[in-house]
Order: sequence, then C-alpha cells, then structure tokens
Amino acid sequence: MDLGFLIEALVKILIVLGFVLLGVPLIVWMERKVLGHMQDRIGPQRVGPFGLLQTIADGMKLFFKEDLVPAQADKVVFAIAPAIAVVTALAAATVIPFGDQVHLFGRDIQLHITDVNIAILFLLGATSMGVYGVVLGGWASNSKYPLLGGLRASAQMISYELAMGVSLVPIILMTGSLSLAQIGRAQEHLWFVVPQFVAFVIYLVCAVAETNRAPFDLAEAETELVAGFHTEFSSMRFALYFLSEYANMMVVSGVAITCFLGAWYGPVLPGPVWFLIKLSLFLFFYVWLRATFPRLRYDQLMGLGWKVLLPVALLNLAVTAVVLTVRG
Amino acid sequence: MVEGFLFAMFAGVAVGCALGVVFHRNPVHCALLLVGVLLSLAGIFVMLHAQFVAALQVIVYAGAIMVLFLFVVMLLNIKGESPLLSPGAAKGFGFLFALLVCVELFWTVVQPGGQEGVMPEAAPLAHDFGSPAALGKLLYTTWLYPFEITSILLLVAVVGAVVLAKRKFF
Repeated sequence: MDLGFLIEALVKILIVLGFVLLGVPLIVWMERKVLGHMQDRIGPQRVGPFGLLQTIADGMKLFFKEDLVPAQADKVVFAIAPAIAVVTALAAATVIPFGDQVHLFGRDIQLHITDVNIAILFLLGATSMGVYGVVLGGWASNSKYPLLGGLRASAQMISYELAMGVSLVPIILMTGSLSLAQIGRAQEHLWFVVPQFVAFVIYLVCAVAETNRAPFDLAEAETELVAGFHTEFSSMRFALYFLSEYANMMVVSGVAITCFLGAWYGPVLPGPVWFLIKLSLFLFFYVWLRATFPRLRYDQLMGLGWKVLLPVALLNLAVTAVVLTVRG
Repeated sequence: MVEGFLFAMFAGVAVGCALGVVFHRNPVHCALLLVGVLLSLAGIFVMLHAQFVAALQVIVYAGAIMVLFLFVVMLLNIKGESPLLSPGAAKGFGFLFALLVCVELFWTVVQPGGQEGVMPEAAPLAHDFGSPAALGKLLYTTWLYPFEITSILLLVAVVGAVVLAKRKFF
C-alpha cells in the first residue's frame, strides 16, 4: 500500500462522490425541464441560463428552512433515517465501473473506486439496507401517513429486490463473475441486452420500483398519503431523502448499463464519455416513465412483483442455465 | 495491528448492540440494534475471508428478515413490552440460561485442550477461500444432500405458511 495507491483511491472517491452529489441537481433540473415540456409547459427558466441554477437555488432555500422535528417523533431514529438513505446510496456507487483500465502517470488505473469480487452482492446488500432509510423515516415521524408510506415501502422494496436479484443471476452465469468490471469487459462485442432481453426488462421494472419512482412511488403517493414517508421531514433532512432518491436512480442506472447495455463500450468516444451518455439516456427514460404512466394500485404492484416478474425471472434463469449447459 | 483494531471495533459494536437488544424497551430500537449486531458480524466474516457469507448475512438477515421483523412490529405498533412472565421469573430464567450458555462455551473451548484451548493454528487458506465459486462447489459436491434437504425443508415451510395464512382454501 504505497502513497500513489492512496492518492489514486482518494482522487477516485472524490470524483465519484462529486459526480453523484453534483449530478443530482442536474438530474432534478433535467426532470423538471423534460416533465415541463412533456406536459406542454416550459419548466424552470428564471434562475440562470435555461433555469439551470433553479435546483441550486431550491437547495439553498431548503438549507435555510427551519429544521422541524415532530413533538412525538423518535428523535434519534428520526435523525439517522435520512442519513441511512444517503449512505447506502453512496456506498452502492463505489463499485460501479465507469470506464476500462487507463494508463496515467505510470500507473494502471481502474476506473471505479473498488472492484470487490462480490460487487453485485455488495450492491444488492447496499440497496437492501437502503430500505431502512425509508421505513425508519416513516416510523420515527410517529404520524399516520408516514407510517403507512413506510410500511408500503418496506413490502414493496423487499418484493422487488427478489426479482431484481434473480434477473441479474443469468448475467453472472454468462460471465462466471460477480465483479462488475469483469461483467462490463465481457460485453466488448455483444451487449447482454441482446441475449438477456427478458432479464433486462425485469431489471428495468424492478429498478424503478426499488427507487420508489413513478409509476411505483406508492410510498409517497401524494393523492393518498400527503407525501408518504417523508411528510414530516423538512429542511436538510428532506433534502437528504431527495438526494438519496436521485443518487439511487444513478446507481441502478449504472448497474443496468454495466450489466446489460455494454458498460463503457461504444464507438469512437472514450469509455467514460459513453458511460455518461448512456447514463443520461437512462435517466431521461426514468423521467419519461414518470410523465407517461399513472401510479399503480397497491395490489397491482404486489401482483406484478410476485406473480409476474419473479416467476418470469426464475424461468429466464432456468432457460439460461440449460442453454449454457447444452452449449458447454 | 489494523486487523486487531478492526476486530475490536466490530466485536465491540456487536456486543454493545447485542446488550442493547436485550435491555432496550422499545421493540423497534431492539430490532435496529439487532441489525447493528448482524452488520458487525458481517464485518467479522469479511475479516475471516468469508466475503460471500458476509454478503449473504447483509442481504438476507440484515436486509430482508429484519425488515420483515420491523414491518410486523410497526404494523402492530407495540408500545413497550407486554411481559409473558413476571419480571422476577423472567430475570431468573434469563440468568439461568445465560449461565448455561457460558458454561457450555467454556466447556467446548477450554476443556478438551486444557490451558491452551482447542483453537488450532490457522491453516494457510486456499486462494479462493470463501469465494462464491469455492463455496458453491462445496455445497454441490461434498454437502449436496444436507443442502438439498435444507432447501426441501424451506420449501415445506413456505407451503405451510401459505396454507396457514389462507385457510379459506379448504
């Protein structure tokens, strides 16, 4: 463990963290702008060019708002719940590769913070811990709508995590590795979305459900639950939930790109640029979904997860295993 | 040095959280502290080169089972404990069982090997020790029958749970 290694690790951590944290305002701006145009409005346009600084202004506003804690709330859990949400989202971002190995300053530098040999499991672990942020936030507020939101979220995220995990297993079978960098490298010639289209669709649906985004945003369904689990949160605590939601979107998009959409590979342009392009398109897709689909009813959501996605994912896994065995 | 420090940290957090699980009165806090115990055990598993087991510990126990625990506790909204035994009896039984466990542990660890204990010298590890591949190979060769029997047992439990929950079928 030499000094160069430490500096390299530190720089990579700063880049990824900075990218995620600075990317969130940009995504929020993009979402509001795109949603606006899709709904025949113009979206934010007053602050900065094209309204680019609108989210920064909103962030500043949140920062100066009063930090309210409900009188009957569980103070400790109320304080740590938003932190759990953000920490798990950022932890998951550490294993996503955004480019192939590069040679810089006489060192071979891997373009991801760390490549643990069980990266996919690490990711699933981090997302499964992320549930706590939402559930505890709902419980600690000690108020009915947040509690209902938290309960919904816990059931929903557990259900979809299962199908999400199973949809990734065929990829592991095909590459024989749990490392995201190696999975990415295996797609130099053929993106896994082609042989594993079914798994890709399942992952896509589960990813939206895992991040609690429309049309699966039942945990914060404003027509029924005010704002769901974060109703009682204000100021920076609310901002942290907001941040974690968008950071999670980036993470699941990053995983989708790495596992199905050819990771950082693409013609002409360098790897990280392609990764960024794909990430932006994926996030645009998220917003597009939100503008298009009405929210599911709760029983429809559970039915879809357990009766459609999970069986199809298992079948897909079995078929993949048989095909791989037959072909040797 | 680093290893000792990490072990002390994980073990300390595990023991502290475990004590909290026992002594805390709010069931949700107890469940959360139990998550803390499970996570620090996962840390110790990683230090023992058992990354796969650590990942499963986090995903299955801390991430799924404990969330369901919390779900039930939150759904029933239990405020404070409702004691099954009188406090005195509960304490008596508690101390009795704690003592039994202590004696048992002491017996297994110290008795057969005398003063030195039975902990063997650490054997050199295979390079893929604890990796999913090595573990899978063992599960599907040497331990195939216990593994399959366990899965059938779990399947039976799942079917049983569904039958119990949906009595209307009959």
